[in-house]
Amino acid sequence: MPPDQWNAVALDSQIRASSSNPVIVNDYAVALWRSASGQVNAWEDRCPHRGMRLSLGFVEGEQLRCIYHGWGYAPDGQCRQIPAHPDLTPPKTICARRHAVERRYGLIWTNLADDPQAALPDLGADEGWVAVRSIFLTGGVQEARKAVAGDLAEWDGTVSDGDVVTLEMPDGTRLAAAFQPVDAGSTGVHFVARGPAATAEGRHGLARQVVQLRNRIENN
Amino acid sequence: MTITLHDYSLSGSCYKVRLMLGFLGLDYDRRQVDFYPGRQHKRPEFLAINPLGQLPVLEDDGLVLRDAQAILCHLANRYDGGGTWLPRDPARFGPVMMWLMFAGGELMAASSARLHDVMSYDLDIDAARRSARAAFRVLDDHLTHREIDGATWIVGDHPTIADLACFPYVALSGDGGIGHEEYPAIRNWLREFRKLPGFHAMSGIPEYV
Ligand SMILES: N[C@@H](CCC(=O)N[C@@H](CS)C(=O)NCC(=O)O)C(=O)O
Ligand code: FES
Repeated sequence: MPPDQWNAVALDSQIRASSSNPVIVNDYAVALWRSASGQVNAWEDRCPHRGMRLSLGFVEGEQLRCIYHGWGYAPDGQCRQIPAHPDLTPPKTICARRHAVERRYGLIWTNLADDPQAALPDLGADEGWVAVRSIFLTGGVQEARKAVAGDLAEWDGTVSDGDVVTLEMPDGTRLAAAFQPVDAGSTGVHFVARGPAATAEGRHGLARQVVQLRNRIENN
Repeated sequence: MTITLHDYSLSGSCYKVRLMLGFLGLDYDRRQVDFYPGRQHKRPEFLAINPLGQLPVLEDDGLVLRDAQAILCHLANRYDGGGTWLPRDPARFGPVMMWLMFAGGELMAASSARLHDVMSYDLDIDAARRSARAAFRVLDDHLTHREIDGATWIVGDHPTIADLACFPYVALSGDGGIGHEEYPAIRNWLREFRKLPGFHAMSGIPEYV
């Protein structure tokens, strides 16, 4: 049973319209895809037909198409077209496995529980958050969170530890690090910012600082 | 005057040259070399045209050229009148060369991993994957900053031979056990590359975007 827990899995700005992306959460492969109109979906990365990875598929309008035999799935998960049998209405039972997904604070979050009850982490107002960058650290999520919080504590500002680690910087910028447990050996950390540094120049600077953080953590 | 490519369909390095010839709309003869399992590139007849025993080799108007990166430079220099694939202005020429060397250097670890997994090459697969991941990270870090500027390509505002030379082994890396999960900026760049007019796929790289 997957835990009832929201995990950030990508920066919203990096999941482009009409794209399907491979993402791993707690050893479980997810196809994170965005339709042409911008709607985001998090599905099991497995085609109901023969099990092909749907993250290798392509998006056509509001459908995700499997790369193998081209079956097309609508956002409700239902198979809507089978190219080898164009006149057939696919039976309702052919359905991709969907998971809860939310966009907030410039991040995309999923919860793999069957019936999610947990609330998303609360970072205050949703407006104004911009992408900084994602990094991937070796080691499990506990270890990664500790290392990131420990490193940020050496920066100027005030760190708040939690599911999401945040840093209030002296200029009023808020930097947030949200964690993606990939597997026992890897953790994604997605950084977003809000405030004065939420400009292109500010994002370049913060992204470089985050790479330095990654290098320090890896060299430790 | 004909261009002849000594080619192997499953080779990512030959694919670099096929892509370039396609983008430039050039006709050419394809000489298929039985690379695997035949190892025809190690036979005397082939060593006579490339003593390094490697594919690709391009023959053009009396020239016999080896090394995909050198061949891309030659084709762009000779046939791309607009200079878009190989910009000559100082702000872009150096960076394009830098990433071109990276494609023929550090990134080739991804080719090694694929040769191991697909063609049973005897090499240190863990070391190959580690080096490939380190190179992918360098590219992803660069492309992350390019995204912040709203840019798509490795250098400048249109694709160059730097993008072209980096594309095949990054796109094919799944064959060598290296997924794209940890490289979001690379994923976006690969997708844009596949949308280019004149792009064509090879086995292991989907045509659709
Ligand atoms: N530096 C060459 C290397 C190309 C290369 O590795 N070619 C492979 C085929 S994909 C090869 O011929 N390998 C045989 C060998 O190195 O013995 C280039 O970039 O063209
Ligand atoms: S496996 Fe997906 S359509 Fe056949």
